[in-house]
Amino acid sequence: MSEAHEEPLPELDLRLTQDNLELLYDRAPCGYCSCLPDGTLVKLNQTLLDWLGYPRQELVAYRCLQELFTMGGRLHYETYAAPLLLLQDQVRELSYTMRCQNGATLPVLMSAALVRDADGQPLVMHVTLYDITERRKYEQELLRTKALAEEQREQLARANEQLLSKNEQLTRINSDLDNFVYTASHDLKQPIDNMAGLFGELKQAATFHDPDAVHMVTMFDEALRQILSTIRGLTEVVQQQRQRQQQPEEEVALLPFVEEIIRVLQPMYKPHATPFVLDFSAVPTLRMARSSLYSMLSNLLSNALKYAQPGRPPRIRVSTALQEGQVVLSVQDNGRGLDLSRHGGELFQLFRRFHPDVVGSGMGLYLVNRLVHQAGGRMEVSSVVGEGTTFRIYLPQ
Amino acid sequence: MDILKRHNVTISGSGDRAMVFVHGFGCDQRMWRLVAPAFEGDYTVVLLDLVGAGKSDLTAYDPVRYNSLQAHADDVLAVLQALNLRGVVLVGHSVSAMIGLLAANRQPERVARLVLVAPSPRYLNAPGYTGGFEPADIDELLEAMDNNYLGWSGTMAPVIMGNPERPELAEELTNSFCATDPTIARHFARVTFLSDNRADLPKLRTPALLLQCAQDVLAPLDVGRYLHEQLAGSELVVVDTSGHCPHLSAPQAVIGAINHFVAPLRTTPL
Repeated sequence: MSEAHEEPLPELDLRLTQDNLELLYDRAPCGYCSCLPDGTLVKLNQTLLDWLGYPRQELVAYRCLQELFTMGGRLHYETYAAPLLLLQDQVRELSYTMRCQNGATLPVLMSAALVRDADGQPLVMHVTLYDITERRKYEQELLRTKALAEEQREQLARANEQLLSKNEQLTRINSDLDNFVYTASHDLKQPIDNMAGLFGELKQAATFHDPDAVHMVTMFDEALRQILSTIRGLTEVVQQQRQRQQQPEEEVALLPFVEEIIRVLQPMYKPHATPFVLDFSAVPTLRMARSSLYSMLSNLLSNALKYAQPGRPPRIRVSTALQEGQVVLSVQDNGRGLDLSRHGGELFQLFRRFHPDVVGSGMGLYLVNRLVHQAGGRMEVSSVVGEGTTFRIYLPQ
Repeated sequence: MDILKRHNVTISGSGDRAMVFVHGFGCDQRMWRLVAPAFEGDYTVVLLDLVGAGKSDLTAYDPVRYNSLQAHADDVLAVLQALNLRGVVLVGHSVSAMIGLLAANRQPERVARLVLVAPSPRYLNAPGYTGGFEPADIDELLEAMDNNYLGWSGTMAPVIMGNPERPELAEELTNSFCATDPTIARHFARVTFLSDNRADLPKLRTPALLLQCAQDVLAPLDVGRYLHEQLAGSELVVVDTSGHCPHLSAPQAVIGAINHFVAPLRTTPL
């Protein structure tokens, strides 16, 4: 655009236009310098000299720009900025630290442009430097935080890995244990059965002269019965686990299912006086593996019969209800009850027994609890000694 | 991956004998653009990027493997093998001067002449040896690199260029010419500046040319003299320029010195 066509300037304070360029160069709020292509300083503005604290004559023609950087910065300049400048004639926003005459450091951001002569040979470098003291502090903080975050991420990953391997280990141990129990109970069963058979033969064939013999034979029979019952229980616990992995879930109609269990339990109560009250009107069917449900209910119902209060006919109510989206399957009896404040914590432990006068293996409730958990549910017990016990099984719908 | 692709190998020129250029720390094969074309008339000119630099396959940079310069030397030899090259003129700048020397020591038949541009066998000072740097200086360099990787620097180019929503960013990145992955650059810097190849010098049987700058903070004259003493039969040429990149600041002098050095090869059959 030629001057003739230029619009007249709007009215301005004339003192602004009198601001001369030399002053602007020298007093600009950033450092300016010009260097030979090798970095030798030829011109610096006053701002930069003030920052660095050097007199002009100590720098011009005597020192290179990169010599004013820290040694690490100089290495970076020589291996990165200098070749880049020669390759593409400019670099922008490179971060360096300058060393002042008094030894203090000054973080700067450098942009530089290379000017070439008519033959294309490098002639002079124009360099602008910005004081970034505050910004550098912030960046250092960012870097520090980033390093910390990375360290913590690594720690977390390591912890997670350990957890995973522990978990795998536990799963393996658990399965090994199941296998062990299964094998052990299986291997024990055969010789015990043989012992029971042999002992039966012995009782008939042999004559005992000791007056205590009859009592001892009874005790031996009882011991045999107990050990067989324990082995059966153990086998059932492991078998349930194995079957569950194989058996599909299905919709089980509760009324005929529970009636079938009650029929099997018939030897445990007086005929014509069924103690059971069934009410599945709220939730008539359950979606579960049939064998799991069978083991749960048959254990709970036989317990209810076994632990009836002496002298009081048993009443056992089996029912379902819906509670906050969950199915609750309850077995309520009027039996002896348990002191939960004393035994509550041990109720579902293997081989824990609370009524030594009643025959049992100590595995029923352990098995029931385990099956409920495997089905994704939980179990609650409430009990009053001498009045009765209620088991509630909460199952996801 | 194809080894030539892995190293972004580019081939130009024609000639029975090959001249192979290996760039130093901080940039890539484009550093040679003022020098390499001068040899295209008489040589097959081979340029490559070290793994981790330029347009090499960055995913191939395994910090364990590349913990020593020997791994890079083996890479150079693998490229020569892939191209079926023997008796080459191997030109290495900065750290690649030592990489070239390690390659020539391992397979002397592949390297007829070695040109070492601004070389140093050890950057750190040691008893009886002046490399020019103290460990604290190297820490400062790593810090300077960190400070330049924070987001405004062109070294973030790989990240930013991957942002399809803001294509304008890629064009604005003026420092992106020699951009590398910051983690790799940091590791390579450490391997470079902590390396010590003094023991490898006397093993060299290949004729070598030492090209040194008159003022180079990374490879001072003392280091040049040391190398000249240790490399029997080597030639030392001091180029009248300053800085660490004579092939950029004084390309004609570098071309002249190499030409003079390799002249006897014209009459030597491959």
